[in-house]
Amino acid sequence: MELRINGMTHQIDVEPETPLLWVIREELGMTGTKYGCGLAQCGACTVMIDGRVARSCVTPVESVAGAEVTTIEAVETDPVGRKVVAAWIDNQVPQCGYCQSGQVMAAVALLKENPSPGESEITEAMVNLCRCATYNAIHAAVRQVAKA
Amino acid sequence: MLKRLIAVFAAAIVVIAAAGAWWATRVPASPFDRASQASPGATEAPEATVARGAYVARQADCVACHTTEGGASFAGGLAMGTPIGAIYTTNITPDRETGIGSYSLAEFDNAVRRGVARDGHRLYPAMPYPSYAKMTDEDVQALYGYFMKRVTPVRQENRASDIPWPLNMRWPLAFWNIPFYDGHPYVADTSRSAQWNRGAYLVQGAGHCGSCHTPRGLAMQERALDQGSAAYLSGALLDGWYAPSLRNDPNTGLGRWSESEIVSYLRTGRNVHGVVFGSMLEAFNNSTQHLSEEDLGAMAHYLKSLPGDPERDGKPWSYQAAPARTGSPSNGEKIYAARCAYCHGVDGRGRGQWISPLAGASSVLSKENASTINITLNGSGRVVQAGTPDSYRMPPLRQLLSDGEIADVLTYVRGAWGNGAPAVTPEDVAKLRRTTNPSSDEVIILQMR
Repeated sequence: MELRINGMTHQIDVEPETPLLWVIREELGMTGTKYGCGLAQCGACTVMIDGRVARSCVTPVESVAGAEVTTIEAVETDPVGRKVVAAWIDNQVPQCGYCQSGQVMAAVALLKENPSPGESEITEAMVNLCRCATYNAIHAAVRQVAKA
Repeated sequence: MLKRLIAVFAAAIVVIAAAGAWWATRVPASPFDRASQASPGATEAPEATVARGAYVARQADCVACHTTEGGASFAGGLAMGTPIGAIYTTNITPDRETGIGSYSLAEFDNAVRRGVARDGHRLYPAMPYPSYAKMTDEDVQALYGYFMKRVTPVRQENRASDIPWPLNMRWPLAFWNIPFYDGHPYVADTSRSAQWNRGAYLVQGAGHCGSCHTPRGLAMQERALDQGSAAYLSGALLDGWYAPSLRNDPNTGLGRWSESEIVSYLRTGRNVHGVVFGSMLEAFNNSTQHLSEEDLGAMAHYLKSLPGDPERDGKPWSYQAAPARTGSPSNGEKIYAARCAYCHGVDGRGRGQWISPLAGASSVLSKENASTINITLNGSGRVVQAGTPDSYRMPPLRQLLSDGEIADVLTYVRGAWGNGAPAVTPEDVAKLRRTTNPSSDEVIILQMR
């Protein structure tokens, strides 16, 4: 099947139920998106599908045929994405870093949908897990972009 | 005169009691009585018969109850909860001392189709012998050949039930059988097609679909054993799950499923309407996926012939998109967005046949809410098709969500997208949380292999 990722079209030959995450990492070699729990619980595998936040570990590749998938690799081609990455650096958010590509994608999806989210809206949208508990820094970085 | 009358009366009571005792404890006749006398246990079953027996064992899903998780196949020991105490399934491997290795064909037949063990004691109807009674002589003979020749004998003593005396006496079950057991093998309905009859034979007989899907009466009997009653396969609550209607009910049954969709559900564990879960997952893993396309087609054809009940089922469901929201989302909707929508979709439509839709799903539309609560608390097991586990699984949310939160999110799911099912209360969730917690002393969950 054909798969649109980060503005490029890829021809892939996999079982229709293969998780999108597997295709991104194993077939296409884009390892920025991480595998965490495999159960849509942690958010490490977060990508955007047609601009909306999605968890690629529970997304059968068949269901994204014709959709535009955005991964962390292309985050800085987007103006909101660039701002989020800059805020992440300003706030020195990552510790171990494993969950951070998912966190950044979740933040970008939130800010594209709602450019100036309030405190509670940030808390409700940023639900990805972080083993190092960088939650306060994540919150601060999102707030920085929201205010800007 | 009076003395004589009393004596006659007493004598009559003794005779009736003796006759009753003989009748309730006798070993019934089997068509195999003569064949078996020669050499009990030994069987000269040819390979073709054994292979057919293996297939019949799949149809009957013997392994589901007669095996514990991680235990040897068919060695028994699975606890089955009853209101008066647990009973344990028995060792049906051909071990001569602790299993059925010394059973003759007739004795095996009496257990399978008549519910009577070798020593004459009655089996609890947890063993679905009222259904198995419909199996043909040939299928029972083949099944016997399979167990004797192909199943590995395992030495494992049977465990006595937890039911206290006098409730643990078995002979009264002979009287239970009078109204609730019809010992005749399946009789074909000549006004129907061969396919319909094959389907009816499998669904009512070895498949014993009614054990879960037919509501039970006061004496725990299935309220119907065939299509003669509208209660047959009309949905039932059992062991913390609600087994939905298999009749042509558009909302809570198979009304919106085509025959070929039923076949793919039984063969691959999934279709666009849903994925197997709960006890059906066990039935799929061990039984239905192993049946031939032809047999599954026959079962689907038969099931589609059972009319629905519009009064019970209500107005047929159709998808309704969520109206534009005014004000802030409900608590249930917020939880749905954070916990459920990544897989089941904001629109509730799931992901093709891979992840169940919640919009229009029969288990969501059912008045009974047990299945939705149970799967939310405990997640789903492994759907293993042809040896390969599936990629997507419902995680248990027992630790993540409180009773109130689960009630809120399920109330939202049951009300959204045109579903129109009644709300779920925190008390409903609390009850199932308790009874499906393996460390609780009230546990009812039946963990089949």
